[in-house]
Amino acid sequence: MVTPAVAHIGLWTALPVLATFALSLTDYNIFDAPRWIGIDNYIQIWNDPTFRLATWNTVVYTFWTVPVSMAIAMVIAVALNQNLWLRTWYRTAFFLPQVTATVAIAMVWLWIYNPQQGLLNAALSVIGIPGQAWLADPDWSLWAVILVGAWQGIGIKMLIYIAALQNVDNSLYEAASVDGASVVRKFFAITLPMLKPATFFVLVISIIGAFQVFDQIYVLTDGGPANATTMMTYEVYRSAFQNFQMGLASAQSVCLFAFLLVMTLISRRATRGDDE
Amino acid sequence: MSTTRMHPATPGTPPTATPKPRTKRRRPWKGRLLLNVILSLGAFTMVIPFLWMIATSLKSPAELAQFPPTLLPQVWQWSNYSEALQAAPFHLYFRNSFLISAGHTIITLVLGSMAGYALARIPFRGREWVFMGFVAMLMIPTYTKIVPQFLLVKFMPLFGGNDIFGQGGTGWLNTWWALIIPGGLSATAIFLFRQFYLSLPRELEEAARLDGLNEFRIYAQIYTPLIKPALATVALLTFQESWNNFLWPLLVTTRDDLRVIQVGLAVFQQLDSTSWHYLMAGTTLATVPMVVLFLFCQKYFIQGFTHAGIK
Repeated sequence: MVTPAVAHIGLWTALPVLATFALSLTDYNIFDAPRWIGIDNYIQIWNDPTFRLATWNTVVYTFWTVPVSMAIAMVIAVALNQNLWLRTWYRTAFFLPQVTATVAIAMVWLWIYNPQQGLLNAALSVIGIPGQAWLADPDWSLWAVILVGAWQGIGIKMLIYIAALQNVDNSLYEAASVDGASVVRKFFAITLPMLKPATFFVLVISIIGAFQVFDQIYVLTDGGPANATTMMTYEVYRSAFQNFQMGLASAQSVCLFAFLLVMTLISRRATRGDDE
Repeated sequence: MSTTRMHPATPGTPPTATPKPRTKRRRPWKGRLLLNVILSLGAFTMVIPFLWMIATSLKSPAELAQFPPTLLPQVWQWSNYSEALQAAPFHLYFRNSFLISAGHTIITLVLGSMAGYALARIPFRGREWVFMGFVAMLMIPTYTKIVPQFLLVKFMPLFGGNDIFGQGGTGWLNTWWALIIPGGLSATAIFLFRQFYLSLPRELEEAARLDGLNEFRIYAQIYTPLIKPALATVALLTFQESWNNFLWPLLVTTRDDLRVIQVGLAVFQQLDSTSWHYLMAGTTLATVPMVVLFLFCQKYFIQGFTHAGIK
């Protein structure tokens, strides 16, 4: 009974992963047979300023979207963990961006960021701040992309925190109240430590997700202006499907994979370090 | 929030949220009011883009050209929707997305539950190894397999004019096969199913065996009906992920009649970057099914997202 699944995963996941590693050592343009070139692709990546920039952009994107939306998500989760009228409605609103397609969402943001008729510039003009060509300006475009990523990512993190909060023993809070602890004190002394395993889980899946940002880049900026928003994934896409350098693209995706692996290990150490 | 019990998908997942009375402390009413105001503002910020999308989809081009923009349409142009369908075959894209998502869901439910059941309930040789293999596959990011997946599709033997060695034609490119088969099953689904089957008691199986049921009937008639909520959860997650998928259909199709809605939107935007009212009408059409599905099946979605943690 497990055979069809093994066959499917074997053919469409396991084999491709191994093939990626093998192809990363070749020069291959689809039309001619792959040619073995050893680690030349990796040397090329190391010396490629665009891929370096893409790596940096990916790190910056992850660095801002993940902690910012995690912090917001945690605060919202704590707030929603009380008996509030409209509680479900709030939760739905915060979660809505998560269930809708990134492409559709990015379309809406593309329109919001529109320099002439966009909502953002209109809102800023009301309070007297001059508008920007958010996506066309190299100084702003990465921040515009980060805002979309952070906005969309809040929902899932909030949900995991809400689930985790329901398992926190209420008697801890009651005991703290008896001792006269303030709300803030209780948050740092009880809530935060109790949420540690959830935080680790959220951190890992968020980093993995953020490193794979692609759809909104494709829609919002095409990696531009002047590569200001290109990402590792976008470089893999460009190498493989615009320049047909399959070997180079494979090597780039191996780098992405290595990065993810390292980040996962680091975050495991950072959040688990002392208690296990 | 939850009525069914599920097991954490990953080490470190928060344990199951069993219904439990929430904090009973009553805050002073001023504090509660402040909390509500802040939450409402936050929630409103989250939905502004959606409201703006719908508002834009109902405005006339003349109204869109105004600055500052009007908040609500002066005249509600419902005809934008029918005109958008003329401008690009969004209904066709919509149908394609639906067929593909349904296909993925069915394949995942059938193959995934069979594999999950076998891994959870049937002791066979090498089971641990197979399971370890699936776990290893959980961690694989899309981009680590996308190039060879594309090549597999392109060089699929005996399809699309290819010879037995996969040369000479286009293989599965621009076919339904490419859209439905490769993305039909994920290691995550198998993993989730295994957890669900593991949570059921052993006694059922023993009783069924005494009654002389074979393994497949035990799976199909005894155990699977017991995990219906889990089936719903996995089905919704699969459908949603597949409906929202963009990169894969973008890579393997170029024909307009095979385009899915997400790719259709991107192509429409590239071809006509000024018809925002049509684009937002199309975007609304692409968004509405998932929002409706979510609103009606929130419970399953929330369980699924909490435990799988995937997007």
